[in-house]
Amino acid sequence: MSPDILDEAMEVWFGPQHVSAHGWATKLTLVGDYVVECDPNAGYFHRSAEKVLEFKNFRQGSLVLERMCMLEAFLAEYPYVAAVEKIADIEVPERAKVMRTIMMEMSRIHSIQFWWGQFNAELGFFTMALWPWVDREYSLDVFEELTGSRHTVSFSTPGGVKYDFNEKVMKQLDRAIERFEDRLPKFRDMQMGSPTFRARTENIGLYDTKQGLRWGLSGPPIKACGVPMDLRKDDPDPTLAYDMVDFEVPITENPEHPGMSDALDRMEQRFKEAETAVEIIKQLIPQIPDGPIVDPKARGKANRLPEGEAYARIEGTRGITSLWLKTQDKAQTAYRAKIRGPCIASYYALKDLVPSSKFADFIVIFGSLDPYPGWWDR
Amino acid sequence: MSVIGRAVINKIPEVTSNPIGDNKIELLVPKEKIREVVTIIDEELPDAMPESAFGIDLENDHYEIIYIFWSHSTKTLVQLRVALEGEHPEIESVCDIFSGLEWHEREVREMFGIDFKNHPDPRLFLLPDELEGAFPMRKRFQSDLSRLDETGITPPKPRPKPEGGESK
Repeated sequence: MSPDILDEAMEVWFGPQHVSAHGWATKLTLVGDYVVECDPNAGYFHRSAEKVLEFKNFRQGSLVLERMCMLEAFLAEYPYVAAVEKIADIEVPERAKVMRTIMMEMSRIHSIQFWWGQFNAELGFFTMALWPWVDREYSLDVFEELTGSRHTVSFSTPGGVKYDFNEKVMKQLDRAIERFEDRLPKFRDMQMGSPTFRARTENIGLYDTKQGLRWGLSGPPIKACGVPMDLRKDDPDPTLAYDMVDFEVPITENPEHPGMSDALDRMEQRFKEAETAVEIIKQLIPQIPDGPIVDPKARGKANRLPEGEAYARIEGTRGITSLWLKTQDKAQTAYRAKIRGPCIASYYALKDLVPSSKFADFIVIFGSLDPYPGWWDR
Repeated sequence: MSVIGRAVINKIPEVTSNPIGDNKIELLVPKEKIREVVTIIDEELPDAMPESAFGIDLENDHYEIIYIFWSHSTKTLVQLRVALEGEHPEIESVCDIFSGLEWHEREVREMFGIDFKNHPDPRLFLLPDELEGAFPMRKRFQSDLSRLDETGITPPKPRPKPEGGESK
């Protein structure tokens, strides 16, 4: 880049006040219509969650975690619970395992529905923004019926779950699944069949698998490159019920650029993610066993933990979500808890991915990676 | 022991290993060897994904840094543990090998006061400017009411004591 080009450069802050920038700010250097430099900034949403966890006991900790990403609260709170169970050696009843898995997949669908709305609103495709949000109410109805809360659900607890499925919850769940099965193909037609949407996203934000892994990407942004990297198959947690289900890891392969993904592929991938989640829930509902939902000894065991270290990780909506926990002997609180959110990588990736694209494409690239600020700011 | 563990120890005998589960391995790495070990991981596991890097304060100027890498094709999780000592410990940056670790290293620097040599962008990551040098994730950082004056917040009123004589 010659220095006289930079003489005409203009610096633009995208966020934190911009409506699309919910809790983040990126400094863009523009020459004409093109971005020459992108500097993503973090810290606008920092709530020092890791420090807070050092003062919360092991039954309170999951409540901090679910606030990292309320769109996927069932998934977000889970790594903490699993890490505590590993250190305290707590058994989880079969019924709780299946219930956790069902609700985590519901949470995945809810998060994707929210993202469809948000991403399409940013692109100006407003029909597809509002329709998934109608369906999102069906997911929220299930959460509300089960836990009494629409977002901060606090469902998993060391040793099981807090709320049982009753007849009314099962009815809501069936109603939601029936609705999604009916509407998903229609959404796919409307979204993927729209020439405007395709023109807006094709070949935008293109990267290959190797580069994506270097940034630390996981989940849908990597699966859209055609790599079936999914912890539900690769490293399933023993306290979840993915071994009871027969499913394929969804991947997207685009013959026009094999091994790479653009914003369109990532949209296609989200549809497949939602369809797989529906499939998993449908298989699990008839398999819910009878029995207790929580181990009665777990409450006592989680009061004071022995010395230990545990690393629990799951496949979140946006990629690998994990928690590393260290405790001291007879501990009531964590000595160190490290939250790993998937979006720290997708936000970092903008730094290399955005330069040389048009300013108007910035929000397409950003939105297609589905970053949520809670996951990098914590 | 996993293939990657053997490959690292064959080349660098100072590294010791510690199995932590199926396909999961922990390597205890001396801090001078961190770049060499990460380079071997890069060569041996072509699809290695830098999952995380973070510090732990073990008190009395003892620190640890843990790096976690995940390889999907071999289903291997590699956890590197580096012990550090001193008031302001130093370690070589590895974010030119795995660029995804750049922000993790920035966070460890601002939170624990561990410096990364040759880091391309050592600005604050999450903290506001006034907390530069405070290292809030260190155990000796006070986060209780004793620091209330610095915040400018009015202290809470003490609870009124119940009136009357002593109860028996």
